Amino acid sequence: MFEIGFNERGEVVLSGRLDAAQAPRAQAFLDGVSGGCVLDIAALEYISSAGLGVLLSTHKRLMAGQAGLELINVNRHIGDIFRYSGFDKLFVIRGV
Amino acid sequence: MRKTYRRNFDQLAEIVADTGHFFAEQHIDDSLRMKVDLSLEELFVNMVTYNTETDRDILLEMRPIEGGVEVSLTDYDVERFDPTIVKDVDVDAPLAERTPGGLGLYLVLKMADSINYEYSNRTSRITFRNIMATGGAAEDV
Repeated sequence: MFEIGFNERGEVVLSGRLDAAQAPRAQAFLDGVSGGCVLDIAALEYISSAGLGVLLSTHKRLMAGQAGLELINVNRHIGDIFRYSGFDKLFVIRGV
Repeated sequence: MRKTYRRNFDQLAEIVADTGHFFAEQHIDDSLRMKVDLSLEELFVNMVTYNTETDRDILLEMRPIEGGVEVSLTDYDVERFDPTIVKDVDVDAPLAERTPGGLGLYLVLKMADSINYEYSNRTSRITFRNIMATGGAAEDV
C-alpha cells in the first residue's frame, strides 16, 4: 500500500511501499509540484531504486529552478538506503 | 517455497506478501526483510524489463539456511546477462551527473551476503543469500 498527498502544512507526505509498481503514481504526483518542496517520509516503509529514481528526477527538475526537495523524518531503514546509494549527499535531509 | 509469477510489476505486492509468509513460517529473522525485499524487487524488475522475448513466468525459490535465507530467481528464454559483474555506480558523483540507471543492481550487490549467477540453455538463475550478522542482529538496512 502506497499513499502520497499533501498535509495541512503543504508538505508532501509519502507512506507505505514505494516500489516499481507505485513509482509512476509517485512521479505523476511530484511532476505537479513546483518550487521548494518538503517530503515527509516518516511513514515510508520501503523504497527501491524505482522510488529513488522518482526522487532524483524530481530533485533535479526543481534544482534547475533553484529549489529542490527537502526530506524530513527519514527513518533508519530508508536512511540506510540513501546512504548506500549516495542520496544522503544529494538531498537536504532533516530528522534522520 | 517455490512459486512462479507473471511478468508484471503488479506481482511485486504478491511477492512481498509471500515473502512475509515464508519468513514467518520458517522463523527467519524479520530484520533481513528489507534487504531481501529490495534484492528480490530489483532482480525481478530487471528480468521483466529486459527480457521481453517471452511470456513465461519467473520462478522464485526460497529456502532457509543457517542464520538466514537463500533466494533464487529463474528466468527463461533469455540472453545471458550476469548482474554480478555490472558496472559500478559512482555514488559520490554530484547531482548533475547522477542518473537512476544501474542503481538497482548496484544495491543488490551491496545488500547480498553472497550472489551467484548461472546460465545455460537460455535460462538465467540468480541466487543470493542474506544471513544475520555475527552477534545476532542483522546490519542496518
